[in-house]
Order: sequence, then C-alpha cells, then structure tokens
Amino acid sequence: MHNSLKMVFALMALIAGMVISMPLFAHGVDDATKTFLAGNEGVSIIPFLYIGAKHMVTGYDHLLFLVGVIFFLYRSKDVLIYVSFFTLGHSLTLLFGVLNDTHVNAYLIDAIIGLSIVYKGFDNLGGFKRVFGFKPNTKAAVLIFGLFHGFGLATKLQEFKLSSDGLVENILAFNVGVEIGQFVALLFILLAINYWRRFDSFLRFSTMTNTLLMSGGLMLVGYQMTGYFVS
Amino acid sequence: MNTTEMPVQSAQTLIKSTLAAGVLAAIMLTTVILPAEYNIDPTGIGSALGLTELNSQEQEIAVPEAVQRGEQSFAYRTDTTTIEVPAGRGIEYKFQLDKYGHLEYEWVTESGELYFDFHGEPAGDTTGYFESFAIATANKMSGSLTTPFDGSHGWYWKNNGQESVKITLKTKGFYEVIGLKQ
Repeated sequence: MHNSLKMVFALMALIAGMVISMPLFAHGVDDATKTFLAGNEGVSIIPFLYIGAKHMVTGYDHLLFLVGVIFFLYRSKDVLIYVSFFTLGHSLTLLFGVLNDTHVNAYLIDAIIGLSIVYKGFDNLGGFKRVFGFKPNTKAAVLIFGLFHGFGLATKLQEFKLSSDGLVENILAFNVGVEIGQFVALLFILLAINYWRRFDSFLRFSTMTNTLLMSGGLMLVGYQMTGYFVS
Repeated sequence: MNTTEMPVQSAQTLIKSTLAAGVLAAIMLTTVILPAEYNIDPTGIGSALGLTELNSQEQEIAVPEAVQRGEQSFAYRTDTTTIEVPAGRGIEYKFQLDKYGHLEYEWVTESGELYFDFHGEPAGDTTGYFESFAIATANKMSGSLTTPFDGSHGWYWKNNGQESVKITLKTKGFYEVIGLKQ
C-alpha cells in the first residue's frame, strides 16, 4: 500500500515535470523551426525528420491520447499495430493535404484531437459497453484520429509556404520523423504504464486516471473551440 | 484484442466520472485557461490570479535599458491625429526625432488607398537628401522606426483619387510633432 502510493506520486511528479517543460502550444511550431521552414530550399531530410519527431514528442494532446490508448494494452505487438494504423491515417492526409493545397482550420482539428482523448477516456471506463452495449474498434479510432491529425499537420506546414523544390522528399522525411517521435513517446509511456500496472494502485486509480484524461480532453476542446470563435 | 481486463464501470461510476470530468474542465477553462490564453475572464478569477496579463491587448511597451538610445532630447509621448489629403494632392506630415529615436506608428485611411513615401531627412542638410524607409500604396500601415539620424521623419502621402481621404495617425515615441509641411 505504502509503496504503491509512493509510486503514484513519483509518476505524477514525472508527468507534471514533462508537461511543464513542454512548450505551451500543443501543435504549434517554435520560432527557430519557423525561421528554418520559411527559408528552406531543396531537400533536407534530417532537419525535416527532426522537426517531425520533435512535433510528436512535445505535443501534449497527442501524448494524452497515447496514454489513453496504451492504458489497457501492453504487448509490444499491439503497440506496433496501433502505431501502424496511426501512421497510415496521418501519412495519407498529410501528403494529400500538402500536395493538394488543402487547408483545414487548425482550431477545429485540435478540437477533434481533444475529443479523441475524451473518447478514449470514456472508452477506458467501459463507457461504450455500458451505455451502448458495444465497444468501438480502437484500431479504427486510431486510424481516423491519424487522418485528422494529418490534415492538421498539412495545414500548419502550408502556412510556411514551403519551397516546392524537394517538397515531396521533405514531407516524407517529416512523416517518418513523426513516426520516430511517436515511437519514442510510446516507449516512455509504455514503460511508465507497464511499471505502474504491477501495482494494485493501477486498477484502483484507473477510474480516476481516465476521468482526468476525459477532463483534459474536454479542456482542450474548450480551449480550441474558443480559439476558433475568437479568431 | 490483447488487452488487460478492461473493467466496465457501473452506470453510477460512469455518470459520476463524466460529470466530474466536465465540471473540472469547465472550472479550469473559465478560471485559468481562457483568461490566460484569450483574455476571456467571465469569473474575474483569472485577472485576480494575474493570468489575464499574459494576453492583454493593451501592453505598454517599455523601452529596455539595454537599448542604447543615448541622450534623447524629446520625452516619450503618445498622439492621435487626423490628417486630410485633398483629391489629387500630396502632403507631408513630419516628426522631429534624435538619432536612434523611437517612433511607433499606426495609420489607417477612412476609405481608399494612398501612395506614400515614409522617409527621413537629416537635420541641417541642404542638398535635399532623404532616406526612404518604405514606399507603397496602401490604406493602412503600422510598425516602428528607430531613426538612423537626427532630423525630420514622416510620411509623404499622395492622393491619386477623386475624393479627399482622411487618415487617422497614432504615434508613440520620443519625438516632437512638426506637423504638416506643404
């Protein structure tokens, strides 16, 4: 009991530390990156890889969704499957979006990402099974989330009027970077959750954790929708 | 699917959790997030916590000590003036500034566009030399200028239209108003 409680506090401190040290924009792009993107000409694989990976590792909305997905999932095989579904979804829309010059409102996309967190929190409480008698397919949900996320990325990348010289290569590199970032983030979240899973407190706090997850998602929805109406 | 036992919570727990999530989110949004992010503060708690400062529109820009402006003979001031440019005429409106003086400006026409040349003339120069900072045709402009030399700085506006155009000019900085020059 005593140990598990300590564990919970340690984990909470860790998560709080991670969240606080992150830049305060969920899916924004920082100033140095902006300068680079605006001035870049031609193929630059490694920088785009890095920007993609950094975007994923520092996006707290995305990390929250991953916590939700991984919460009741522990085999590395499953994790790989989920990553692949997300990758498929977001690669499609990112490439399509940038190459076709499609613009989607970033606030709406980020609000949908918030909703996906609410969905996963509710799902982890067994909400869909209880209320509707069935559980939506998480793989499909991850795929759909990936599709939306890709559109969001496409819109943000286009704000920089990327040079058409080497565009496809750069977008592909960015895409791979997003995958790497997602994998790294998953690894840490998986380690933390799998460790926590060994203690009684995991199940005891699972209701509270998922309630907090839902609440966090709702905050993101409110934040982004307000932004949509204000701007 | 390979998952650990995902507990299906009772309807009561579900309702409680959902309500708790909603209430917590609503409280956080109204008291912390919206005041800090958008300066929207329905409860007044945001400003009590000092959060609305983060995004307040009316931020006074204090000049940092590190900026070496040297001795400025003009005090910091703020002005708003209306200037009329008659149809087919050009006018000049100037400010006197020291070297490395600072002028923040914002002007907008009531309607229509004007050709302009934003420039500075060094004090004591008799050759007619001037340095243009910006030349364009627009209905508004805003920005700031750190003057390259001591002298008169301002706009030449030319109205190529058929009707006179009114400009509202707001300025802040270390200067003295010279005003209209014909």
